[in-house]
Amino acid sequence: MAGKSRKSARDKAQQEFVSEAEELLDRMRDDLSALAEASAAGRETPPATLNQLFRSAHTLKGSAGMFGHGLLAELAHHLEDILDRLRMGRATLGRPGLALLDESVSLAAVALEKVGRAEEAESLAEPITDLIGRIAAWEPPAAEAPGVSLQALDVPDGLLRALTEYEETRLRESLGRGRGLYVIEVDLDLASFEEALGELTRAIQEVGEVISTLPSPGAGNEASIRFLLLAASDLGGAELAARLELDAGAVRAARAPASMAARAPAPSAPAASAEPPEAEAATLKSLSETVRVDIKKLDELMNLVGELSRERTALRALTARLAADRASARIAGELDKIQRGLERKTQELQAAVLDVRMVPLRQVFDKLTRVTRRLRLDLAKDVRLELRGADTELDKLIVEQLVDPLMHLVRNAFDHAIESADERARIGKPAEGLIQIEATQRGHDVAVEVRDDGRGIDPEAVRARAIERGLVAADTPLTRKEIFDLLFLPGFSTKSEVTEISGRGVGLDVVRSNVAGLGGLVAVDSVPGQGTQVTLTLPITLAIIQALLVGAEDETFAIPLAGVRETLVVNASEVQRSAGRELLNLRGDALPVLRLAEEFGLRAVARDQKQYAVVLGIGDARVALLVDRLEGQQDAVIKPVQGPLRTLRGVAGATEIGAQTAVLVLDVSALVADAGKRREAKS
Amino acid sequence: MSADAGVRGWDVLAKAAARAREVREESAAVRELLRVEVGGEPYALPIERVREIVRLCPITKMPRAPELVLGVISLRGEIVEVLDLRRALGAEAPEPTRRSRIVVLHGETGEITGWLVDVVNEVLRVPEVDLSAPPGDASELVTAICVRGDRFVSLLEPDRMQSLVAD
Repeated sequence: MAGKSRKSARDKAQQEFVSEAEELLDRMRDDLSALAEASAAGRETPPATLNQLFRSAHTLKGSAGMFGHGLLAELAHHLEDILDRLRMGRATLGRPGLALLDESVSLAAVALEKVGRAEEAESLAEPITDLIGRIAAWEPPAAEAPGVSLQALDVPDGLLRALTEYEETRLRESLGRGRGLYVIEVDLDLASFEEALGELTRAIQEVGEVISTLPSPGAGNEASIRFLLLAASDLGGAELAARLELDAGAVRAARAPASMAARAPAPSAPAASAEPPEAEAATLKSLSETVRVDIKKLDELMNLVGELSRERTALRALTARLAADRASARIAGELDKIQRGLERKTQELQAAVLDVRMVPLRQVFDKLTRVTRRLRLDLAKDVRLELRGADTELDKLIVEQLVDPLMHLVRNAFDHAIESADERARIGKPAEGLIQIEATQRGHDVAVEVRDDGRGIDPEAVRARAIERGLVAADTPLTRKEIFDLLFLPGFSTKSEVTEISGRGVGLDVVRSNVAGLGGLVAVDSVPGQGTQVTLTLPITLAIIQALLVGAEDETFAIPLAGVRETLVVNASEVQRSAGRELLNLRGDALPVLRLAEEFGLRAVARDQKQYAVVLGIGDARVALLVDRLEGQQDAVIKPVQGPLRTLRGVAGATEIGAQTAVLVLDVSALVADAGKRREAKS
Repeated sequence: MSADAGVRGWDVLAKAAARAREVREESAAVRELLRVEVGGEPYALPIERVREIVRLCPITKMPRAPELVLGVISLRGEIVEVLDLRRALGAEAPEPTRRSRIVVLHGETGEITGWLVDVVNEVLRVPEVDLSAPPGDASELVTAICVRGDRFVSLLEPDRMQSLVAD
């Protein structure tokens, strides 16, 4: 309990770090574009922007370090370093410098994104290290320190001594450019001086630069405070005073501007200003062509595509009606052509949107690699993780929800399945255990297999335990597959010890429900002494499906077509009762029968009329679902049901057909699993 | 002409008075409540939890669901459960009429639920001080009551309504 709340507090802090850092990076990006703009226009690098960039990098370094993101902190540190050299006038920006800054900020943003998704940024180690190397190797053209004597300036005693190194650099730079230097003295109301000072600073920045701001003794009365501002500007003293709406006496020239020509870039201006603007513009372009999109936006897009499909269906129906009438048959023909074109484009659009949602399994695999690394230390077991098919793509939502079940399986294999080193040596297995995960696409499904070379599962032990737990009768004949399926029953466990790594028991039922939630299936196979293989079969996407609409009584339901093997007409006599259950003889195979109307309590038993059997199948498991009507096929966007009930066994969600009519989408895997269970219970 | 001016004068006065009353009510915490009729009795729902009010549309039945759950509707693409507020309050639940409405409430997390009521009447502005504790024998869904005209209006608590099914 305590662990959980600690974790959530940490998550929250991380979340805060991420949003703060995001803001910083956003601001840095803005500042960088301001720099690039100035550079492209041949203007002087705006010192205030440069200084702000430096401060942002500094803050980023601090908080990244505090939250344990070493790589990000390291990168920020080097950014800060460049920026410090730049603002101190020890280097000039130029195009290469701008490109380095741009790349650093982009890379930091990518790293941050990983942190935000609670992923380790380790995979970025290489690019970051590389970038840091290039930053370190960057030899910027050193800016020439303007050889101006500060002693000759007419400024109050002590003011020069109070300048920081940065301020002094700015002062020399301004003087080198022949700007006028002014000491501005203002008395500000104590109650509101911060605001007034801010306003004055902004006003000065419009026509020049504030080099330093110092509070000073000697205010006229007790309710106010005096400030000395050291400012540089190309304006003359009187003009500056007028711009700042100050008395002429408050602005004292320490040195008058050399000439108005100083506004043009001086010969000592940064090298960047000499570069052609086009080259600068090129660096403004983002280095990455990736756009980060909220998955919700993609969902919305998917919804729209779904709605478009529905409109198309309506159009098709209308076309068919027109075609039936001789008078309008020609129009119908043309309409049909348009309709087909629309259909093609809609399908392309749908495919394109689906494609955007696809992400490689690599993300999950990276996590598993890290978990294994840690387990190897925690459990002091030597186990190798082999991953294949990291490029296999799945819908982003599915990939995210695969993390838990896969993690669970890997931990199980590590903790329970793979023997200790001693044991392995005794039975002649290689000292190093092996866990292989392989993902492959099979049509519209993706299969993820998790194999280990551990001790395997003894079917007889499973059966014995199931009998002991009262899950099956002692005399039930079970196939090998049926025995392994028992592992998925809630609470079933072949290993009674509880460890920190895999929690209580094997918990395959959790894996099953996770995967079933995604419309997938889990199967186990094992050879005692040689290893276990768990196969997850998953649909590629959940976003849009082809659905078969079926009717029972007055109600219509949608069944994901992926779960439908075939449909056929059944006469009442073809359904036979055997050992307390109904079976349909399908070309010699006996399929358990589910009656939709009864299953969902729509009607009492009435078994005389002709019905349709929809053969549902997931993996090898098949069930005949009897329905009253087949009502056609349709694209459907499955949506979650909102409300207090939310989930009902056997219902995967709902979809909209036609105007405002909701239709429930059946959960094929739950129906198949339930039918199997009932069969065991009855027999 | 002068009569017209007189009427306008009264109008102005009445409006001013109404505004003054509004200001006074606002300064002393006022709750805005949606008054609905369920089983012939007046109830109120906190307006800040009401997302929208929709006319009755075909409700798709949810199999295996408790009786309280009438089914689901599609609300511009969102699939929302509709619950029968009449049953929740132990009232008669005759066939819905032309005046029946679905009041869509949103929860703390943004999830929405539809509730079938017989009639939606009006928005009430009730000063906090006019709300009093419900009598002991009131439904557990009622958090407070207030008097409007000669009738008691019972204020319902949406979270408790939700938990009727969730438990």
